[in-house]
Amino acid sequence: MSYHIQLDTFDGPLDLLLFLIRKNEIDLFDIPIAEVTQQYLEYLDLIKMLDLEGASDYILMAATLIRIKAKMLLPKSPVEDEEEEEDPRDELVRRLLEYQRFKEVSIQMADLEQARRLVWPRRFFDYDLGDDDEPVHWEPDQNYSLFDLMRVFKDVLKKAPTVTEHRVETISVTSEEQMDYLLKELHENNDQILFYETMEKLQNRLVMIVTFIALLELIRRGMVVINQSSVFGEIWIKRK
Amino acid sequence: MMEHSEIKSVVEALIFAADQPVTLAMLKKQFAEELNGTSLDSIIDELNEEYQGSGRAFSITMVAGGYQMITRPEYASWIKQMYHGRTKNKLSQAALEALAIIAFKQPISKAEVAAIRGVNSDGVIKNLLEKRLISISGRAEGLGRPLLYSTTREFLEYFGINDLQELPKPREIEELFKEGKFKDEIIEVLAETPEDEEQAAEASGQDETQAQQPEKAGDGDRTENPSE
Repeated sequence: MSYHIQLDTFDGPLDLLLFLIRKNEIDLFDIPIAEVTQQYLEYLDLIKMLDLEGASDYILMAATLIRIKAKMLLPKSPVEDEEEEEDPRDELVRRLLEYQRFKEVSIQMADLEQARRLVWPRRFFDYDLGDDDEPVHWEPDQNYSLFDLMRVFKDVLKKAPTVTEHRVETISVTSEEQMDYLLKELHENNDQILFYETMEKLQNRLVMIVTFIALLELIRRGMVVINQSSVFGEIWIKRK
Repeated sequence: MMEHSEIKSVVEALIFAADQPVTLAMLKKQFAEELNGTSLDSIIDELNEEYQGSGRAFSITMVAGGYQMITRPEYASWIKQMYHGRTKNKLSQAALEALAIIAFKQPISKAEVAAIRGVNSDGVIKNLLEKRLISISGRAEGLGRPLLYSTTREFLEYFGINDLQELPKPREIEELFKEGKFKDEIIEVLAETPEDEEQAAEASGQDETQAQQPEKAGDGDRTENPSE
């Protein structure tokens, strides 16, 4: 168990660096690495104390700063002087700027979020009494991802009877068989079946899992599609 | 053929009863041929004018590509009070950052988000997935075929925008360069040893910032730089 304490000012090493640069009114394109590194390390000590997991990213940045400093201290070879040598700080500046772009956007997005939180749409009503027999609000253009399917499958597994007595038995069922089974079910039910219902019929965890794999395979082969009538509603399996 | 006022009432009923933004296409589908050239856009405008004129506490807005009835912001404090304790938390700054990156770079992998933020973003992305603000949209072709993420319809709804174009645009790097007193002479300046000549360098190039003017459309979206 780790204690995660967010220092609410910083969202990562780049954020901390930008903060230090602003605080010291440093020219972003002429960062005094030694000074910044010094201050950075002071914060790092604090961060290490508070949050071990996230600290690794901060430590990585500290190492980067020190490496840049070391590079800058090395005498330049006179031969290479002809070419335009890249400043070791350039890469860091690029990253800081790229990060700053999105940081700015995220701050403006927080304003949008705030404005939206002042208005309420008409939709927090759920008078549906669970009559999921028919896909009433069929929305064929709503695509639900495999992520949704996995989430629902977790629910199904929770519902599956848990075995209290342990028996070892071989269940000879293959995903090919279960694919045939699913296709047969689809065929007998007008080419669309309910995910929960189909799974519940199986009554055995292993068979359920194999059937789920079979379902994934059918989706992969493009033979069936999944669809949901509403958020958290029933999942429908449909023949393509 | 339906009367204009009847069409208007039906549109109002449909938007009122919908549990998500109703698109123009969805509305048109309901009417089949009976619309006969009536513009649904102008019907919505008429409804909004009526609401405004009679002092109704709600209006119809365009969000995530569809029409939705929402209460006017003036009544926020009352509704908040009613929903006391049931309102969801705001997104964290970390979540907003990740969303901003995903919105503009989608489809994008977890590692790319983390690279820009400079910090591991697995937890943030998992959280955004659970909130349905992003979804898995595919796999990259590269090494390890990492999952790619994109924003969702719920994302647009959450921020009350109609499409991604309505998001504030990230400023161009060149613009930030300019602001950060970046100069063509940067290489000269940076080639000097940092500590001693720092000040000299700073003093020398202060006024040459106009050298490169990035020509960028959409400058109107720019906001003040928080670093100033």
